Amino acid sequence: MTTAKTVAFTTSQLEEVRRLQGLYPDRRGALLPVLHMAQETFGWISLDVQEYVAGLFDLSPAHVHEVVTFYTLFHQAPTGRHVVAVCHNLSCHLAGAQDILAHLRRRLGVEVGETTADGRVTLQAVECLCACEAAPMAQVDDRYELNLTPDKVDRILEGLR
Amino acid sequence: MAETVLMRNFDRANSHTLAVYRGAGGYAAWDRARTMEPGAITEAVKASNLRGLGGAGFPTGMKWSFIPKSHTGPVYLVVNADEGEPGTFKDRYLLERDPHALIEGMLIAARAIRSALGFVYIRGEYVQPGRRFSAAVKEAYDAGLLGSGFDLVVHRGAGAYICGEETGLLSSLEGKKGWPKIKPPFPAIKGAFGQPTIVNNVETLCCVPPIVERGAAWFAGLGTKTQGGTRMYSVSGRVKRPGVYEAPVSITLRQLIERAGGVSGTGRLKGVVPGGGSAAILRADEIDVAMDVDGLKAAGSMIGSAGVVVMDESVSIPEALLVLARFYAHESCGQCTPCRESTGWIYKMVHRIVDGHGRKDDLDTILDVARRGGGTTICAFYDGAIGPYISYIEKFRDEFEGLCRS
Amino acid sequence: MPKLTIDGKEIEVEAGTNLIEAARRLGIEVPHYCYHPGLSIAGQCRLCMVDIEKTPRPTIACNTQAADGMVVRTDTERVKQTRQSMMEFHLVNHPLDCPVCDQAGECWLQIYYMKHGLYDPRMTDEKVHKPKAVPLGPHVMLDAERCILCSRCVRFCDEITATGELGIFNRGDHSEIGLFPGRDLTNNYSGNVVDICPVGALTDRDFRFQVRVWYLDTARSICTGCARGCNVEVHVNRRRPHHADGRRVARLKPRYNGEVNAWWLCDVGRYHYGFVDAPGRLTTPARRGPNGVAEVGWDEAIAAIAEALQRHAPEQVAVLASPLMANEDLAALRRLLELRGVRQVAFDVPPAAPAEGDDFLLRADRTPNRRGAELLGLGGDAAGILAAAREGRLRCLWVFHHDLLAAGWPASEAAEALARVETVIFTGTGANATSDRAHWVLPAAAWVEREGTFTNFEGRVQRFRTAVEPLGAALPEWDAVGRVLAALGEPATAGRAEHWFRALAAIVPAFAGLTYQSIGDAGQMIAGASSAGAPAPPGRRPQVPA
Repeated sequence: MTTAKTVAFTTSQLEEVRRLQGLYPDRRGALLPVLHMAQETFGWISLDVQEYVAGLFDLSPAHVHEVVTFYTLFHQAPTGRHVVAVCHNLSCHLAGAQDILAHLRRRLGVEVGETTADGRVTLQAVECLCACEAAPMAQVDDRYELNLTPDKVDRILEGLR
Repeated sequence: MAETVLMRNFDRANSHTLAVYRGAGGYAAWDRARTMEPGAITEAVKASNLRGLGGAGFPTGMKWSFIPKSHTGPVYLVVNADEGEPGTFKDRYLLERDPHALIEGMLIAARAIRSALGFVYIRGEYVQPGRRFSAAVKEAYDAGLLGSGFDLVVHRGAGAYICGEETGLLSSLEGKKGWPKIKPPFPAIKGAFGQPTIVNNVETLCCVPPIVERGAAWFAGLGTKTQGGTRMYSVSGRVKRPGVYEAPVSITLRQLIERAGGVSGTGRLKGVVPGGGSAAILRADEIDVAMDVDGLKAAGSMIGSAGVVVMDESVSIPEALLVLARFYAHESCGQCTPCRESTGWIYKMVHRIVDGHGRKDDLDTILDVARRGGGTTICAFYDGAIGPYISYIEKFRDEFEGLCRS
Repeated sequence: MPKLTIDGKEIEVEAGTNLIEAARRLGIEVPHYCYHPGLSIAGQCRLCMVDIEKTPRPTIACNTQAADGMVVRTDTERVKQTRQSMMEFHLVNHPLDCPVCDQAGECWLQIYYMKHGLYDPRMTDEKVHKPKAVPLGPHVMLDAERCILCSRCVRFCDEITATGELGIFNRGDHSEIGLFPGRDLTNNYSGNVVDICPVGALTDRDFRFQVRVWYLDTARSICTGCARGCNVEVHVNRRRPHHADGRRVARLKPRYNGEVNAWWLCDVGRYHYGFVDAPGRLTTPARRGPNGVAEVGWDEAIAAIAEALQRHAPEQVAVLASPLMANEDLAALRRLLELRGVRQVAFDVPPAAPAEGDDFLLRADRTPNRRGAELLGLGGDAAGILAAAREGRLRCLWVFHHDLLAAGWPASEAAEALARVETVIFTGTGANATSDRAHWVLPAAAWVEREGTFTNFEGRVQRFRTAVEPLGAALPEWDAVGRVLAALGEPATAGRAEHWFRALAAIVPAFAGLTYQSIGDAGQMIAGASSAGAPAPPGRRPQVPA
């Protein structure tokens, strides 16, 4: 399976990979941090990226694939420029998470798991983010957005370019 | 008003910085611990009756003492900051508002168990708390607190509740799927990377500096006969003032709900989950129970991670169970057969019931399947799942039967 | 050595023995899926739970080592209930494919359900669906729905072949066995995952839909794919000749031998039996004359061959024996050569392309009995025999198995050689360019069609047994040669392979004292030879630290 451009870290990124590998008694411990790094660099973790990372650790690609498919934060397909992950676990459910999700589905015109046509936002429903005191809430990219209301959601969406 | 121990620094401006932490007396306990024999530190923690605050409630000092004395190789200290139990958010506060308390607790614990390398496993979704904590780690390195006999690696998770299970966390730390390890051997004998390892919760370790500084007897005296100290209760759901509340572990559930402002919504309590999503639900007539490990165990539930979720009369218990059943099905790691197969199956059955296509038989099937799987799995995830499966149906059976067709 | 009690019976075992093995020694079966004695402990299936005194909950037997004074019960009501529960869990999402699944009849879900399940199914919801009929390399077919996620196959590819092709992806009940997308299962041991898969998730593409396992008969045998002589079982279909396109040999399975191949068999050996039932087998003796090829009876062929051997001077006779021949065949041949004074014999015809061994079981020498041929003194100058034939110095050349025109010699030279010999005799299992040029063709029984012994590269003599009748009029080589000997006046023999083994044990010092009985099913080393045992799998060798 080939892509137009080759998957590769820069020299300084490779140095960072070595540094991370050196922090662990077995360098395999650095796999999650390096996969995070790969996702930040390449946007998502394609099969090519998985094979590349497998090479950095002398692991079989199957074992990297196991890790990538196991954890929910690793994207196996491209996402929108922004990810809105609404918690729909217990306290958020009690606080109206379903309404927030319905509002977002209408505003964005997508179902949960989908990305808007303009590539701006991916909508997700996720399990407990442990901010139950501020339910309903969502993780938007790197930050938590708390105490959501439809109005607050609209303001947040406006800020997502 | 009871003492504030864990949350003592929270309201200070820049409480997360070394300067403020030190200014408030931080790292004095570490200075004291450095003059103590490792064994003496462990004895103090034992005498304090500190019990694990992540979920299992295991006596912390006893856990530390399981490291084989004869072991000459590395010993690892691993901090479980993979907070994920529904209804729990206390560790997030500690990471954001008092990261140095955790670092100081780690330094002392590392000395007690003779560890030179520690890992803090922070759930992947905690990006801001992770950055806050990493900044504190850098300050500690710059100040020579870290890097002089004890090194600390911050390790970011990638989204899996099962990585909050002690050995699932270790597998993930090793760069694998978060599959819990079969026991024996236990982590204190063979843990991270095959070496003796102690895994402790964030809050548990934050208790250690106060214990060393103010004494085991003081800490023990704050709590009940079998569990010392205070702890941070995460209160959410249908309460007027959801938030994190510190109280001695002897506080009752009724008192705790009152502190959080009382029941919201209809104002009438229907049920409350006392210890995170995996705890058996308690009815409104069962809330005069001490919120400590043994008190809740005697009441047929558990304190777990002390995540208190309050439900008022307008809450549909079957819907609440559906949310949790979906959670367990989604988070089951899939390694062992009883959990992998029955979490998915039970979710389908509860879904069918909530959708109006359930049969009364289904309720008995769910109860039987849950009971048959309990105690048979590699880890306690499934035992946690059956807490809600069984208690919600048993205690609110009428409500479930009302949804069933036959 | 810990002494423990299981179901009231006491047993002493080596330290480190787990409870499944300890119980097995007492004849008590502890049902299990994920445990395999050749692989690491997984503890995933949860079926092997037993009750141990002083332990409040049932405990998995695979991960529990026998301890002195331990009291184990596998027959309590609680163990029965637990087994029943585990069976139900395993079947929650399992598709009821039995009518179309090759595993039926040897499926451990079926077997254990009948023993430990027998509950009323109550799963009425939609089962989880996963990919079905997915080829994994040339030999293995995956049905991910049937998979019970015991992880044996994953552990095999990690711990035995160290190739790591397989993984378990996703989590929960969407967990799925698979290859890295786009890759293939190409290691030389892929067939073993079919053996160790307890269910029909991994099945053999070669065996797929051929014949139901309950129609199969089995025989203990030895693989003839290389000089290691891995122990195998030959499975044959005699009862349903209209199945499997009439193929009689249905498959080979490894047989455990801790000193040779442990539990494993390479793909080269596992799938090399196709020639047995392929078209092109020689089934009757034949004579080639100016008017073409005519099928003849054994008596006519034997008489003619005996006459030729008597007529020609010994210096004008040569024999190219083969390391494919059994010790018994070679012993009979040696007697014949002695009797006629024939000195020109060799077995080392070079192959067209030298083969390679691998880093585990497969040897570069792809013949089963070179050591036997050496020990029987049949080594010689094969090239010299070829030259003698080409130069017209040979009147009679008996070729066993080799196709001289497909060997490592220029085909033209081989053709010339054969053309210049007055009487060319060929004995082999299948027709080839050499048999096409032979004056007398004797059909040889394939190794699965007879019994005998081979001597492996280490000097282990191992028995192989008859699995199926010889095709047509084919005979084992010892029998064909024996008939020639009888025609030459030798006393009649008992007409069994064992006669020849006794004969060779009497005259070849290496085989002194060996008998079919002493060889048994585990094999026996020749005098003075020692075995290194089954080699450590590549996945178990100490890794060079990165």
